[in-house]
Amino acid sequence: MAGAEQPLSAGAAAQVAVPGLARVWPSLLVLSVLSVLTLLLALSIGSVHVPLSGLLALFGSNADPLHQTLVIELRLPRALAAFGTGGLLAVAGALMQVLLRNPLADPYVLGLSGGAAVGALGAMLLGLGALAVSGSAFVGALVSTVLVFGLAHGTGSWTPTRLLLTGVVVAAGWGAVITFMLVIGPTERLPGMLYWLMGDLAYARSPWPALSMLALACLVLAPLGRSLNVLARGPLQAATLGVAVRPLEWTVFLAASLLTSVAVITAGTIGFVGLVVPHMLRLVFGADQRLILPASALAGGSLLVLADIGARTLMAPEQLPVGVITALLGVPTFLYLLYRSR
Amino acid sequence: MGIADRRNAVRVAGTPTLLVGVLLLLGVVGVQAEDRFCVTDDRQREVCLSQPAERIIALSPGVTELLFAAGAGDRISGAVRYSDYPEAANDLPRVGNHTRVDMETVLAMEPDLIVAWVSGNPAEQLERLEQLGLTVYYSEVRDFEDVAASIRRFGRLAGTSAEAEQAAAGFTADISRLEQTYGDRDPVRLFYQIWDDPLMTINDTHLISQIIGLCGGENVFGDLDRMVPRLDRESVLAARPEAIAAGGMGEGNESWLEPWKQFDQLPATGRGNLFFVPPSTIQRPTPRVIEGAEILCEHLEAARGRR
Amino acid sequence: MSTLRARHLVIDIPDRGDGTPLDLDIAPGEVWGVLGPNGAGKTTLLHTLAGLRPPRRGEVLLDDRPLSGLRRRTIARQIAVVFQERQDGFPATVLETALIGRHPFLSALQMETAEDVDLARRSLAEMELEGYEARAVSTLSGGERQRLAVATALAQQPRIWLADEPSNHLDLRHQVAVMRLLRDQAVRGCSVFLCLHDINLAARWCDRILLLYPDGAACWGDTGRMLVPSALEQLYGQKLIATQLDGAPVFVPSVADTRAAAAVPGAGNPSQPHDG
Repeated sequence: MAGAEQPLSAGAAAQVAVPGLARVWPSLLVLSVLSVLTLLLALSIGSVHVPLSGLLALFGSNADPLHQTLVIELRLPRALAAFGTGGLLAVAGALMQVLLRNPLADPYVLGLSGGAAVGALGAMLLGLGALAVSGSAFVGALVSTVLVFGLAHGTGSWTPTRLLLTGVVVAAGWGAVITFMLVIGPTERLPGMLYWLMGDLAYARSPWPALSMLALACLVLAPLGRSLNVLARGPLQAATLGVAVRPLEWTVFLAASLLTSVAVITAGTIGFVGLVVPHMLRLVFGADQRLILPASALAGGSLLVLADIGARTLMAPEQLPVGVITALLGVPTFLYLLYRSR
Repeated sequence: MGIADRRNAVRVAGTPTLLVGVLLLLGVVGVQAEDRFCVTDDRQREVCLSQPAERIIALSPGVTELLFAAGAGDRISGAVRYSDYPEAANDLPRVGNHTRVDMETVLAMEPDLIVAWVSGNPAEQLERLEQLGLTVYYSEVRDFEDVAASIRRFGRLAGTSAEAEQAAAGFTADISRLEQTYGDRDPVRLFYQIWDDPLMTINDTHLISQIIGLCGGENVFGDLDRMVPRLDRESVLAARPEAIAAGGMGEGNESWLEPWKQFDQLPATGRGNLFFVPPSTIQRPTPRVIEGAEILCEHLEAARGRR
Repeated sequence: MSTLRARHLVIDIPDRGDGTPLDLDIAPGEVWGVLGPNGAGKTTLLHTLAGLRPPRRGEVLLDDRPLSGLRRRTIARQIAVVFQERQDGFPATVLETALIGRHPFLSALQMETAEDVDLARRSLAEMELEGYEARAVSTLSGGERQRLAVATALAQQPRIWLADEPSNHLDLRHQVAVMRLLRDQAVRGCSVFLCLHDINLAARWCDRILLLYPDGAACWGDTGRMLVPSALEQLYGQKLIATQLDGAPVFVPSVADTRAAAAVPGAGNPSQPHDG
C-alpha cells in the first residue's frame, strides 16, 4: 500500500525539514556570521565614542592610542569573556533540558550556578589558590546537579513542578549560603564579591578559560548529539535504542556542572541565558541536538555579548550588572514556558 | 583557569606595554629618576609619578574629600557617584560608582593618577587598570594618622605639598586638642548606630570608635570581631549603654533615634542621652571628622552632666 | 533469525513470591501474547525480556548469549520495544522521532543517510502517518502517538518485537492495522511478544499465550489450549461468556455477579502444558 503513495509522499515530504543533515552547516554558518557581527558591535559601542574611522584605523600605523586601548584592551577581552560565558551557559542549559526532558531547565534556575558560586566563594574565603577555587566551584555545581536530579526524581518521574520546586529550593539555599559567606567574609572584600549573586562581566579577568572550555565542550559533545536526541525520549526508550544511558547521563551531569562552574568563575551567576537561548533555537531549528548544541554555543555567546553592551552603555557612566539584563529577558520567557507547559 | 593565572592570560589579548609607552610620552620625556614623586600607599606599595599629577581620578567620595583637603581638588578629572563634598565635587565628571567603575570613561580621561579605595572598589577592575599601565594609589584610611598621612601623600603626588602639609598639621592639631580636652574625662558607655535596618554598629578598629575614644567615650560593642557587626535591639538593651548616638538617612533626619525612646529603663533613654550626629561628618575618613568629633564630644559631655 | 529465551526466569516484583519460573522460547515466526490482570507484572516481564530490568532469578538469552552480557547497541540491533508509556514531552517532529529507530545502526558522527530517511518515511506510511512528518509530536493524538511508536520500532528493523499493549489508544481500524503488521513481521521471521489486555485480540492474533497471575504463578502454551474460559475467569476474577465468531473464540465479561467467579467449579490452574 505504501508503494502507490510513495512518489506523492516523498515529493511532499521533500519540503519537510529533515533533521540534521543538510541544515546543520548552513545554520551554523549563519549563526557564526551573527556572532562575528555582535562581537564587532561590542567593539564599536561603549561609553566612549569611537568613530568608525577610528575602528578601521586601529591596526594602521597612525591609530589613536586611546582608541587602541579602549577597543583592544577593554572591549575585546570583555566581549570575548561575554561570548564564552554566554555560550557555556546556553550549552549547559540545552544539556540539562535534554536530560530532564524539560525546556524549563536552566543552570541558574536549578541552582547549579549557585552551587558553583558557593564553591568558588568558599575556597576564596579560605584563601585557596586559583586551581582550588575552580575545582571547588565545579564540585559545588556538581553537588547541586546531583541534589536536584536525585531529589526531583525520587521514585516517580521528573514532573515539571517537582523539578522546579527542587531546583528553586536548592538555588534559594545556595543564595542563603552566599549571603552568609558575604556576612562573615572580610568587610574590605565585600564590594568585589557581590557579583557572585548577580553576574557581572565587569569583573571578568580573562576570556580564555571560558572560550577554551566552550570549544572543548563543542568537540566532546559533537559525537554525542544523536545519542542525546534519543535520550530526550526517556531513559528506557534510549536504552532500547542502544544508548548506554547511565554513562551518557553522567557525562551530561559532569559537562553541565563543568560548563556552569567555568561560566560562574568568569562572571558570577548570570541567569536565564541557558533557558532563553535553547528555547529560541528550538523554535527556529527544531530539537536536533547535533544542531542545537553548537548553535547554543554561538547564539548564547552572541546574546550575552549583546546584553553586556546594554549593561555597559544603557546608563553610562553608571554600569549595570549584566545579570540584570539577562533576567529581564529571561523571566518573561520562563513564565511563558511555564504557562504553556500546563 | 583560576584567578591568579588570568592576569597573564589577559596580556595575550592586547599590548599593555605599548600603552605604558604612550602614557610615558605624555610630557614625561627627559625626567630624571631622582626627580620622581614617590609615596607609599596603604597597601605598602611604592607609587611614583614623574611629574605632579594633573588628571586624578578619585574612586571614592572620601578620597575626593582628602584630595580637596590636600589642595589637589582642581587636579581631579573624574569622581564616582556620591562625591558631594566640598561643593565643587558635585560638578566633577562621573566615572560610575565605587562598586562598578566605568573603565572606558576612566581611560578616556587619560588620568596620570588613580586613587582607589581598597575596601570599596572591585579588585578585578583595579588590577585591570594597572595592567593597562595606569598608576593606581590604593587608599584605605583606618585612623587619624592615616588621614593626615594620606593628605600629605596626595599633596606630594599632586605637587601641592605646602597646602597639604598645612591641612594635615591642622587636622593633627585639632585631634590632639580634642583629645586633651575630652580624652581623660570619665568614660561614657556609648552605643553608636551607623545603620537602622538592619541595626548595625562598629567595633574598635573603625575610625568612629577611635573618635568615641577621643571624646572619652567607650564603645559598648568595641570588642566584637567584625568591623561592622549586625545586631538586634535586645543585645543593645542588654549592653545598657549610657548614651546612644546615631546618624540617619540624610543630614537632619533623627528618625533612627525614635525606636529607643520606648525603652525608659535603658540608661541612655532614661537620661535623655539619645544623640544625633550628621553621618557625613563622621562616617567618611576625612578631615571633616573633626566636625563630627566635636559634635560627639559635646554630646558625651552633656551625658556626663546628666549623671 | 533470532530467538529470545527465558531460562528459569523470575521477574523482580517487590514483596511478591517467586511464583512460577518462566522457561520460554520466543522463536522466529511466533506471536506470543501475555494476558493477566492489572499488576500481574506483564510490563515488568516485558522490560526484563528487553534487558531493561535485572531479573530476580534466571536469565534471558538472545541467541544463547545472556542479555546481561551484551552491549545495549548490540541488543538494539535485534530487539525493538514499544512502550505503553512514553515520555515525549520534549519537542520533536514525527519524522525525527521515527528516525531515532535508525540510531543503533549509525556510528557516533554519522548522519542519517537518504536510505535511513526513506526507511523512516516508509515506516510512517505503513502506520498511515504520511504527511505528518513535520508535525510536532506534542500535537498528535494518543492513537497517533501509538502508531508513531510502532513506526519507530519498524524503522529499527528488529528481529524481535516486544510490544506493551500495542493496540492501546487505537481505533478499531488501526488496532487491526497494528496487529496485522505484527503478524506480518512474524511471518517474515521475526519473533513477536506482546502484552495484551484484550483476550479477543490475543485469541485472534497470537500463536502462543502466557497467562500471568498476580501471585507470580504462570502457565503458557498454544493459544487454543490456553484460552479456556475456566482459566481466564480465574485469571481475571471475572465470569466470562465464550462463543465463536468468524472462526475465532470470543470472550465477553458476564454481567452476572462477579463474586461468583472465584467460586467457579474447576477454575484451578490448568495443568501446565510446556512449550516445545
